Amino acid sequence: MGLFITIMDYLVIFFSTWEFAPWVRGILGGLVIGAVFGGALVMVYLERKFLGDIQSRIGPNRVGGRFGVLQLIADAIKLFTKEDIIPAKADKWLFIGAPIVALTSGFLMVAVIPFDLLMIKGSEYAVAVSRMDISILYLEAVSGLSIFAIFMAGWGSGSKYSLLAGFRNVAKMIGYEVPLGIAIISVAVMAHSLDIVEIVKAQSTWWFIIAQPLGFVVFFIALLADVGRIPFDQTEAEEELIAGWATEYSGMRWGLAFFAEYLHAVVGSFIITLIFLGGWNGLPLIGNLYIPGIFWLIAKTIMVIMLFIWVRGALPRYRIDQVIDIGWKVLIPLALLNLVWSTIIGLMWA
Amino acid sequence: MTDEQAAKEMLDDIKKIIEPSKTDKTIMVELSKTFENAVFDVAVPSPNRAVARVDPGKVKPIMQFLLDNGFDHLSCISGVDYPPDRMDVVYHVTSYSGPLVITLKASIPRDDPNIDSICDIYWNANWYERETYELYGIKFNDCPYLKVLLLVEEMEGEWPLRKDYAGYPNPT
Amino acid sequence: MTHEATQITSPPKSSEILLHLGPQHPLQPGPFLLDLKIEGETIREAELKIGYIHKGMEKVFEDRTYIQILPLTDRICYLASNSNNDVYCRGIEELLGIEPTERAKYLRVLTNELCRIQSHLLGIGEYTTDVGFLTMFIYMVREREGVVSLLEAITGSRLNHNYARFGGVAHDLPPGYKEMALKTLGELKKLVKSHDEMLSSDSIYLRRTKGVGVLTTKVASELGVAGPPLRASGVNYDLRRIEPYLVYDELDFNVITQTDGDVFSRVKVRLLEILESIYIIEQCLDQMPSGPYKQDVMPYITRPKPGEVYSRIEDPRGEMGMYIISDGSDKPYRFRIRGPAFATAQALPPLLIGTYVADVAAIAASMDSCTSEVDR
Repeated sequence: MGLFITIMDYLVIFFSTWEFAPWVRGILGGLVIGAVFGGALVMVYLERKFLGDIQSRIGPNRVGGRFGVLQLIADAIKLFTKEDIIPAKADKWLFIGAPIVALTSGFLMVAVIPFDLLMIKGSEYAVAVSRMDISILYLEAVSGLSIFAIFMAGWGSGSKYSLLAGFRNVAKMIGYEVPLGIAIISVAVMAHSLDIVEIVKAQSTWWFIIAQPLGFVVFFIALLADVGRIPFDQTEAEEELIAGWATEYSGMRWGLAFFAEYLHAVVGSFIITLIFLGGWNGLPLIGNLYIPGIFWLIAKTIMVIMLFIWVRGALPRYRIDQVIDIGWKVLIPLALLNLVWSTIIGLMWA
Repeated sequence: MTDEQAAKEMLDDIKKIIEPSKTDKTIMVELSKTFENAVFDVAVPSPNRAVARVDPGKVKPIMQFLLDNGFDHLSCISGVDYPPDRMDVVYHVTSYSGPLVITLKASIPRDDPNIDSICDIYWNANWYERETYELYGIKFNDCPYLKVLLLVEEMEGEWPLRKDYAGYPNPT
Repeated sequence: MTHEATQITSPPKSSEILLHLGPQHPLQPGPFLLDLKIEGETIREAELKIGYIHKGMEKVFEDRTYIQILPLTDRICYLASNSNNDVYCRGIEELLGIEPTERAKYLRVLTNELCRIQSHLLGIGEYTTDVGFLTMFIYMVREREGVVSLLEAITGSRLNHNYARFGGVAHDLPPGYKEMALKTLGELKKLVKSHDEMLSSDSIYLRRTKGVGVLTTKVASELGVAGPPLRASGVNYDLRRIEPYLVYDELDFNVITQTDGDVFSRVKVRLLEILESIYIIEQCLDQMPSGPYKQDVMPYITRPKPGEVYSRIEDPRGEMGMYIISDGSDKPYRFRIRGPAFATAQALPPLLIGTYVADVAAIAASMDSCTSEVDR
């Protein structure tokens, strides 16, 4: 561990001497995007294995040894070599554009996620592609782009199933972006900042999940809906709408759309870890135990991902009208209540 | 309607189903008494079965009579082809409370097979009539939406279950 | 109930679209076409078109000898193949005027109940996937494996059993069967109870199923639905009780009914019927007499006297009837199959009107249809 920290120190000093020149940021961005890309792959693999365990089956077990670690590579090769079909009735540009927009929105979100905060010679360096003072606001804005992707696919596919899924998605998102936003505001109020780095720094002794458990619950549920996972996966409900907005996609385009979803889920897990579970801070009152913060962050994120998978294995799917009911009638009041609570607590702390 | 009334009505319905008036073989006596010239050849081949022939023109009132007397379940309608001159439409009527199955057969001429529909009396007769129509060419007068059910639309007019059917696409 | 409810009567207006569910769709147990006219998510009109796997069985059977028909009755519906064998054999036995031996009767009841259990397990499993509960489907299939193995041990095959014969059955029980069966069924009983508890306590599942697709007692009997959907509506109609065949009058069992008539109670009826079937099987294993399991001279080549028979039994899905007319030759003159799934499928479109698209999956799957049997 000590060696790692030394290397990181050297790296950061190296970078800092260049004062984070554009090309340095470029390299860092490439690394981070690669890492998150890999993270999404790990999530797909974990999901298949862990869900297999829940459902008392084995999961991938052929490609790459007993544990099927290369299964995803095989799947990707299969998807890449498949024929690229664009339906005759599709609106070509919307159809092609949708997966690209979905992926872009995922990658743009990655840009502001800080992985660690290094103190070197009295000044702090956030390990992030870009540090903004309104990064959480930016995240909200960019994640909203994915709604367009789904609606583009829904309209552009020229299929009624896709169209219905597009409608459902817009209806759902209008209801769920609001509690998501309010939950974020509550956190920002408590941390006195819209910068994720500052929010994590504010959690160095107590995580925000302890200060506002209600906010965590609201945020978690709204996030499940946001990334479209069971019990909120009405947009791709297999038994009703075949594959929802992805019905007409095949081959690599489908692969991209599928991957964009997992990317969103991984980024969502990072956000939940950062704003509620203390980010790179160690356990409350105990501290980091000499383990680098980035490991804490990744370990907690994997826990959140596991929680996502567990929910998927354990719950059935809501109907779309029930989903919208929950969004407007339960989550928004709860989120507002939490906002009041966190404002009071925040004022008392200040 | 208040909830109480609705509950009461539902209870009555349930009672009607649990305690029907007559679902034993005395119904056959009454049936032949009520429709003296329309029901003949009554037979009871086994304890839970009763068979009779009926006049095809009187099918509707007979079915109404059976429904009123507790035979509230139409099991099946089938056609049987007896070349060269007649076809049978066979109704299996039973009830939700007793084991008796009444088999009613109506013979109709083979060159102009048509009979009254009983869809107004037994709701579920619709698909059975449509099936019999497409397989035998028996026309059910006043049957709503009398069109092919199982076959492709091009096969309407083939009547594949008739005994002299030569096989698609050969015309009979 | 009007007949207009089964048809799409007019082309869609500008605020409506016509959605074709099928002929290939993940919702379905087999190919059929469900046309829906929807406005937003609400269904205005529905129409069911069947016949995509019409096999012309009734015509085929007129050209086969009686024993040749026997294995083909398996193919009416693979989940109820044992019941289909049984209803056919009972019809022919009545035509021939013979009775199966006492042990054969018990063996047939035993296999019929096993058949009912595995069909219900798969039915519930398919249903739970349709409300997005994939885990439960896999649990149900896992539980079904044990039951199918029990059937395989008796009949020699896992899917199309071809077990009943005229006046008897094909094989006797293998040695040590009773212990094996009691062990598997004992575990199954515990698992089914725990699944029942899980399904009755999951709040999302309850919201998806309670009060959805309600069939009142009156409407259910009017529409002629059969089997568990009918009993879930409060109609106490079970041929095992009303017209006891084989040895059902010597066995003790309850006819499971529920009163709500919604999707939840249909699944509940199936779950409880599994427990009831296990109870019947346990009694069968205890009471089964020793003796021959088939006739001394099996009537394989038969020419029944001219006559007709309407034989019916309680299939996993409801009343399965066969109307056989013999003209004295070695082939039936007319063979009519009256399937329960056909009757239930007909009642589907009226149930869907006014519900949401998402409920189509729940309602259609709760009917536990079998397209192969609908089309025959």
